[in-house]
Amino acid sequence: MEINQVVGTLYCTERIEGLRHCSLQILKDRKGNLLVATDPVGVRPGNWVFTVSGSAGRLAMDDPKTMTDLAIGGIIDFWQPKQVAKPDSSSGDEQPTEQRDQAA
Amino acid sequence: MKICKVLKPLVSTNRIAGFGHKHLQVVQDGSAQLVAVDAVGSVPGDWVICVGSSAAREAAGSKEYPSDLTIVGIIDDWDPDAER
Repeated sequence: MEINQVVGTLYCTERIEGLRHCSLQILKDRKGNLLVATDPVGVRPGNWVFTVSGSAGRLAMDDPKTMTDLAIGGIIDFWQPKQVAKPDSSSGDEQPTEQRDQAA
Repeated sequence: MKICKVLKPLVSTNRIAGFGHKHLQVVQDGSAQLVAVDAVGSVPGDWVICVGSSAAREAAGSKEYPSDLTIVGIIDDWDPDAER
């Protein structure tokens, strides 16, 4: 399950019956890509949430027949996003990025 | 299945009822931070095995458990930097 941030609500009147009346939220993931998830919890923009993907996302909804592949699992009480590790960073990136830059 | 390191517990009071009382842990897989349901009782710093997709649901409790990543084992000892 990934950790994403809620950007805002997606208004989508023309939708298939399978999506029923679920509220759709726009989420931003670690790399900045935008995703759309169904929301059984009731989130506000800016919340940090964890999402359930795949067929488990359908089970996260009240009605398991909802046709979604990504559902919001819950709002994280407190989350401190660490800066996005640069792609060429070593596997263990516990040490702060500045210190590693001088070493490189 | 993936080998991940447990970073810290994930506290989420406002969450769907399907999760019940199971603990959620923040695990690190390479540079990605993911959230996994803890079925074995791991502590921060442990190296664990995580299973995904439909097996994650059964491992977490029942077929209807809404999880797509579950911790299923704690590795006795693991050296992440050793070349295999």
